[in-house]
Amino acid sequence: MIEAEHLTKEYGNVLAVSDLSFRVGTGEVVAFLGPNGAGKSTTLRILAGFLGATAGRVRIAGHDIVEESVRARAQIGYLPEATPLYPELRVREYLAFRSRLKRVPRSRRRAALERALALARVEDVADTLILHLSKGYRQRVGLADALIAAPPLLILDEPTIGLDPNQIRDVRKLIRELGEKHTILLSTHILPEVESTCDRAMVIHHGRLLAEGTIDELRTLRKGGGAVLLLRDPERRAAEVLARVGGVAGVAVEENAEGGRQLVRVTVTLEEGRSGADRVIEYAVSALVDQGIAIREVNPGRASLEEVFAQLTRSDGAPLPPGGGGEA
Amino acid sequence: MTGFWPIYRREMLSLWVTPLAWVLLTVFLFLQGLSFYWIVRHLSTLAELSVDSGPLQSYFGQSIFLIISLLLLCPALTMRLFAEEKRSGTIEALMTAPVSATGVVAGKYLAVLTTYVLMWAPTVLYVVILRKTGEVDWPVVGASYLGVLGIGAGYLALGTLMSAMTRSQLVALILTIVFSFGLFIFGIGEYIIDPGPLRQFCAHVSVFTQMDEFSKGIVDLRRIVFYATLIWLPLFVTVRVVDSWRWS
Repeated sequence: MIEAEHLTKEYGNVLAVSDLSFRVGTGEVVAFLGPNGAGKSTTLRILAGFLGATAGRVRIAGHDIVEESVRARAQIGYLPEATPLYPELRVREYLAFRSRLKRVPRSRRRAALERALALARVEDVADTLILHLSKGYRQRVGLADALIAAPPLLILDEPTIGLDPNQIRDVRKLIRELGEKHTILLSTHILPEVESTCDRAMVIHHGRLLAEGTIDELRTLRKGGGAVLLLRDPERRAAEVLARVGGVAGVAVEENAEGGRQLVRVTVTLEEGRSGADRVIEYAVSALVDQGIAIREVNPGRASLEEVFAQLTRSDGAPLPPGGGGEA
Repeated sequence: MTGFWPIYRREMLSLWVTPLAWVLLTVFLFLQGLSFYWIVRHLSTLAELSVDSGPLQSYFGQSIFLIISLLLLCPALTMRLFAEEKRSGTIEALMTAPVSATGVVAGKYLAVLTTYVLMWAPTVLYVVILRKTGEVDWPVVGASYLGVLGIGAGYLALGTLMSAMTRSQLVALILTIVFSFGLFIFGIGEYIIDPGPLRQFCAHVSVFTQMDEFSKGIVDLRRIVFYATLIWLPLFVTVRVVDSWRWS
């Protein structure tokens, strides 16, 4: 659905995107993952046909975004980062304008509008001036706009930014549902979003592709290994006990774990390059039991994507080969 | 021309649901009414009128009011066309829809041109009023409105281009005034420059002289060519500018 080859974008002397090549297949839900300023928005703007690339080319469903721009753009529902809308229009007027602009046939316009209002859950503000909408509503009106022509490809730039937790859950659920019929490329710097909505992620930093792969493949990229434990440890001795276990490199204790004040969530990181990680976790568990600390949960090897992300992006331009997470 | 109709409709809606068009309409009609009233009052004190200096001729051809109000009205109508969209970011949603640069520019331009025509529409009342009390020379009326349409359309095209070149409405407004006023000043050269090609050029582009001619019922093909150029050239450049946003 998307083929990007050697994309480069320079703003003056600043290199925003550097030789970025990737593909997104039909039906995939893919995340662009990276810290703020990584070049995510710039790349998405190039893909959506808003910005020209300094070098490289993009094809959307086989249409070149520069040469056959109108055709390529007709395939895309794009949600820009800041969700700019015309404040002087009512939501319904705005979406009607967008549906005409995107050439939804007149006979289907009303149905398309109602469907988009329902999907994005903005029916209750359909007759409100956009001027009076909160950030969360504007974001969802933008989403309704992206959906209105039922395009095969959705490009969503930070779709959950500015929403409250309930709305975030709703939007993620919506993205998962939409992923069954649409190809979706979304950008985010929020990791749980990737884990909960996407098949595959591309980690970009300083405009370069650091890694790509399925969520599980990215997790294995993490150096060393580790486990996340949920413990009942009223005296808070777990850190001390775990530090004495051979092979443990670090222990992070998170207070206020859900389920009560006595509980703590402990993330154990193992020494890098050490084999027999599972064995180390076994020792750690038995050491905790010996000390009378009750164990509620053990999640070995399920290091969160968060750590992978931190490791990948922390060291500037670490020589990690793109696609190192496997052939995705 | 992909996207022309939706953009035209949206521009018309945005113009008329915000106060801008109404404020401009009020100020414009007030100035025109004042100008017409003074002219009629002045002429009513004269015993005899020559054929070429009736109220319509004076109103369209010899009143500086008309030119000044156009110099302010047109830039104010066009300033927000692109600048506002660029500042607020809506341009991103607009340009990522399947629209062509020609469609965008034509939709926006024709919306302000329609608005401009609508603003002039009430002045037809003046003709009706004159008809009650005397004869109206219809070719003069036709030629005068043609001149008003030509000049306005040219200024609006210039304003559209200026709006596409900046993200500040104020800068667009000022640039348009500077250019259209510059053109007007050029026309004054007709009276202060020694005879020669330059003076002829000045006379040719003089908006004031042109209106004077139209108000006498003279429609000169050279004037039409001049306006067509004044409309086409800025719009052509605007389309290129809009297209260039997609380039690197």
